[in-house]
Amino acid sequence: MSAIASLFRNDYDADGFRTCSVTGLDIHQSVENYVKLFGLTAVIALAVGGSFAFSVAMTRWEFIGLLDPSSYYTHLSMHAWNLLIFWMVFMEIAVLYVGGPMVLGRELPLRRLAALGWVTMVVGAIGVNASIWLAEAPNEAPLLTAYVPLPVTPWFYATAIVFLLGATIAALPFFATIWTETRDSHRTLPLVAFGAFVTGIIAVEAILGGIAAFAYALAWRIDLIASVDPGIYRQLYWIVGHGTQQINLLAMITVWYFLTHVVGGAVVISEKVSRTAFILYLFFINLGAAHHLLVDPGVSAGWRIWNTSYAFYGAAFASMIHAFAIPAGIEAGRRRRGQGGGLFGWLTSAPWRNPVFASTVFSIILFGFLGGITGVVMGQIQVNMTWHNTLATVGHFHATVALGTTLAFFGLVLFVIKTMFRRDFVSDALASAIPYAYGAAMSVATLMLMYAGILYGVPRRTAEAVRNIPGSEFSFSAAIPIFMIFGIFALLAILSGVLFVGVSVGSLLFGGRLAEGDDGGMLPEGGLHADGGEPIHAVELRGTFALCLIFLGVFAAVYVLNWYLLTQLWAIGA
Amino acid sequence: MSNPLDDPDDDWWNSPVHRRESIWLGLAGAWSLGIFTWMAGFTQFGDQNPVGTTYEVDPDQYQERVGEYKEAAEETDDGLIPPEDDVYVGAMRFNWDGLPAVLEAGREYDIHLGAYDVQHGFSVRPEENLNKQINLQVFPGSEWVIPMTFDEPGTYHVVCNEFCGQGHRTMHGRFTVVEG
Ligand code: HEM
Ligand SMILES: [Cu+2]
Ligand SMILES: [Cu+2]
Repeated sequence: MSAIASLFRNDYDADGFRTCSVTGLDIHQSVENYVKLFGLTAVIALAVGGSFAFSVAMTRWEFIGLLDPSSYYTHLSMHAWNLLIFWMVFMEIAVLYVGGPMVLGRELPLRRLAALGWVTMVVGAIGVNASIWLAEAPNEAPLLTAYVPLPVTPWFYATAIVFLLGATIAALPFFATIWTETRDSHRTLPLVAFGAFVTGIIAVEAILGGIAAFAYALAWRIDLIASVDPGIYRQLYWIVGHGTQQINLLAMITVWYFLTHVVGGAVVISEKVSRTAFILYLFFINLGAAHHLLVDPGVSAGWRIWNTSYAFYGAAFASMIHAFAIPAGIEAGRRRRGQGGGLFGWLTSAPWRNPVFASTVFSIILFGFLGGITGVVMGQIQVNMTWHNTLATVGHFHATVALGTTLAFFGLVLFVIKTMFRRDFVSDALASAIPYAYGAAMSVATLMLMYAGILYGVPRRTAEAVRNIPGSEFSFSAAIPIFMIFGIFALLAILSGVLFVGVSVGSLLFGGRLAEGDDGGMLPEGGLHADGGEPIHAVELRGTFALCLIFLGVFAAVYVLNWYLLTQLWAIGA
Repeated sequence: MSNPLDDPDDDWWNSPVHRRESIWLGLAGAWSLGIFTWMAGFTQFGDQNPVGTTYEVDPDQYQERVGEYKEAAEETDDGLIPPEDDVYVGAMRFNWDGLPAVLEAGREYDIHLGAYDVQHGFSVRPEENLNKQINLQVFPGSEWVIPMTFDEPGTYHVVCNEFCGQGHRTMHGRFTVVEG
């Protein structure tokens, strides 16, 4: 108990504030403690969901074939909910509290609600886990989506609603902060707070959709309504199913701006452009939910095309803006300090041994190249026919959430350990290894999933298919070599995840306490605010420009390749 | 230039944008419009579009319709030969009703897709070339009619790729496409 209590202790002044030795922010005890609380809870969910990554991956690797179908889908559901929902949403509440009251130097208002929100979320999360684990026939495992009319226990829908309500409550103190901050003073929020604010709005929209979807299904399961329409459920469900991905995206981008600045010395090269990109998200990103319905009956082609493209790719355009603005911020910040010449010197001389920096940069690169490109490509209505419900889809979203967002959040947790828990890592070498090991292993595993899906058509959500389809001569055995690589790298990725949890928990329990004013090796060379002050057009952004051109080239190549494969097919459709 | 943790200067909206960032905005914008135009255009000139006609239908009624179709079809060792250009497929836990079927290469069929119980995934590929494959979602309550013309003879395997219950992985069917 005292060990836990000591985690929440720091030296504050009489008003409960202290000054952060890394960011220079005035941090109030109340904010800091809730960030810690939500962050720690998230890491627990990560550990739970991560253990199921083991059983899921070792079943799909049919060479091992760990689980029978009778338990596989239960494990897959546990994997999905604990990682995609609980690990991410608990972290996101922490991100809102950092982006709101912490960046603005305020106390956390409405603390009772923060506590109530946390308790409600925990109750909901435990309830969802229990309802999945204890479900009995004829109820089936919900997986992530709980598509009606497959019978899923009503407890699942009910507890999922509880969790969503909890997240809404927990977000209220954040909105209250923004409200009081902008109401009287005509204050322009700092970019990180602005990003968090847009994240918060999109989160509320997503949650409302989720409550509607689950309430609709629940009403049917407890016989309040006689029948349920699978198409309507899918539309409602994807408001939250996709909406949570937009929260993950926006929270991650907010963390990118935050961490590249504090550990990499990045600046904002244009407030106007970066804020406009956030606004584009606000308008367009929710339309993207339709990309889950591209090969559904009953939705018109025009509706699908308009929505899946976020209206002429408004949101994809926004992401490409950040893809330039964030690396350019690092380049400009470092060049101004004279750190690194040539095309990429600013990048090669960056603090790569700092796991917070490396996690953030790998998150940016891997999210863009593996997750972003595939998302836009498979989101084209025709190409979707070749991706839908294959393992390639699973590859895509592991690139976005398991590589992109998870790496960014790894970085954030490690940062919080240093700056808020004020602990040294138990081992600097092991901590530094985390982003490299996890990023590399997960990238290979993800690519193998994409290959298995797109080149061999291996279906997702099945306990076996590659070596054997019971009752049939046919199987996907041509893909066996792909799965040998997948299995090994999935294991390595899981071990790297264990390393992350081990270093985090180990540092909290056994890491030395940082002395006051010690930056724990987090600050970039030359401090946070290096002098210079040259106007932006005087700084070279050649390196970022070159990187972005490479990105566009890869994007075009993947696009053309996918369209080529598609046009090799027999004629389909009116 | 500012930093993301402080309020920006008062005239932040008017600060100039770096030349290279402006160029990137142009490139990204052009690419976005370009791929939109291609996708929309392909529905007009392309041969592969997940587009058909959907009818609302009671799952039991759809099952009856598939039954009538099976009556009318000719039975062979390789499967049913459809009486006309309509081919009915009924997805059910854990079977593709109406399959296997024997079709002619080069002939356009109207494939009717529907389910009797829960959602399923209609996933088709020729045996010898797994990277040619398509996937469509199947609902109870909808009958989705999609034209298809198989251009090459061979065996095409159908698996279910939407989770539909514990026996889901056993759900397998076949089209045998013969020279037309
Ligand atoms: C070492 C790490 C991981 C491995 C090896 C792994 C492996 C897998 C595999 C093989 C599947 C597909 C199973 C199937 O469709 O039959 C899957 C599904 C899934 N994974 Fe992971 N995963 C990992 C980490 C993550 C993380 C970090 C997240 C989220 C943040 C995540 C979210 C999901 C989701 C949402 C599904 C889909 C479940 C469904 O179909 O309903 N995974 N994972
Ligand atoms: Cu099925
Ligand atoms: Cu199935």
